[in-house]
Amino acid sequence: MRMVSFTLNGKPAVALVGLVESLRDVLREQLHVHSVKAGCGQGGCGSCTVLMDGEPIVSCLLSAALAEGREITTVDGIGTPTSLHPLQQAFYDNFAAQCGFCTAGMITVAKALLDHNPHPTRAEILEALSGNLCRCTGYLPIIRAIEDAAARMDGGR
Amino acid sequence: MHNGPILWSMSLGGGASGGRLRSAGEGVATQEIFIPESSETALDLLSQHGSDVFIMGGGTVGMALIGEGAVSPPLIMSLSRAKLNGVRRTDGRLEIGATTSLSRVAQLIDPPLLATAARHVGGWAIRNMATLAGNLFVPPPAGDAAVALLALDAEVVAASKGSTRVIPLAQFFKGRAQTALAPHELVVRIDVPRSAGTSAFLKFGRRLMNTPAVVTVAARVVRDDRGMCTDARIALGAAGDHPLRVMQAEAALRGRTLDSTSIEDAAAEAVRTVRPHGDALASEWFRRRMVGVYVRRALHLIGG
Repeated sequence: MRMVSFTLNGKPAVALVGLVESLRDVLREQLHVHSVKAGCGQGGCGSCTVLMDGEPIVSCLLSAALAEGREITTVDGIGTPTSLHPLQQAFYDNFAAQCGFCTAGMITVAKALLDHNPHPTRAEILEALSGNLCRCTGYLPIIRAIEDAAARMDGGR
Repeated sequence: MHNGPILWSMSLGGGASGGRLRSAGEGVATQEIFIPESSETALDLLSQHGSDVFIMGGGTVGMALIGEGAVSPPLIMSLSRAKLNGVRRTDGRLEIGATTSLSRVAQLIDPPLLATAARHVGGWAIRNMATLAGNLFVPPPAGDAAVALLALDAEVVAASKGSTRVIPLAQFFKGRAQTALAPHELVVRIDVPRSAGTSAFLKFGRRLMNTPAVVTVAARVVRDDRGMCTDARIALGAAGDHPLRVMQAEAALRGRTLDSTSIEDAAAEAVRTVRPHGDALASEWFRRRMVGVYVRRALHLIGG
């Protein structure tokens, strides 16, 4: 075991982690961040996506020991239930969530996309989302939501 | 190193259930994870522990193998803080640090072949974690970047404590999960020389993006001013035990113009030579057929 400290959604977090324990399991089981979903455990589905220093990673494949000193952002750090981020509002308005399992990962990767590229083309959205699987929506409402959010955020929100 | 069923066939073939994932990390007796802050420390640790250490670049394959219970290494070394990342260009030659992320490699403008291959690996999050040198060690049908590196005559810089040697990538792969590296050696850099000719990269997968390959082709053809092929590289992924060059197919082009006849001959040589594996993505028969189709397409792209 070893002690690891990092920033989680802007606040300091400390955890005692196993040597090969994934960041995903530490977030879910010790820090109770259940928006980070445990999907395939192979990096193939994207449902455990978080941002590390602003860049998307799959938390199932990151040894928690390597999160030391890093800034981790989950969907919980992107908006709150009373003050939704424009992306979250756009997902709601465009029916972009059905079962909801992929939604946190989708919004997290979309946040990183819009941070890098405020006006992505549809092709750029598809490429950014290619690591995130959705088995409900057929993706189109998700793509529309991201386009909608990009348009709404145009005013510099 | 792990010699059993390969990563993707385990995950896609239904070998291990999700239920095993959680317990595997707790069950193995990993005694230490080293996170060296310099390449010197990494080489020191490797000289002490040699083949007992399981080395992880970005961990995208290593952590999945550990999670599945396919490997239970007593010692792990992560290179993520060993300062082995970065890109340097000298005299047109590209020196890429071992742990440079595939996202970074995908941004390189020259040579376009390498960036295109890097963009075909996984999704965005995976490319942010996965490293270029790590891609040399992933079993087929993964390993697309290595295929492009073969077509570019890349060289592997391998270091051990106190010494460094250069291994041409074409001589690096020795078999399934076997390389020319000694137990105390570490890949610290990959050098890509300035290359002549026209190149093409094609990957055929079950989906457009974020998928292992049915087959991957990287081809490069050098022609003189009369259009005669003076040199050729045809490299394939998912067509054998490791990324490989099909030299018989390359030879079929030499001294000829790139036309339908020479291209057919090269494709036929490639099909005859390869020994692909069957898995959940594609059977051995289908992969062999697609090798012919995709070598032909890549060469037509270059020819056109």
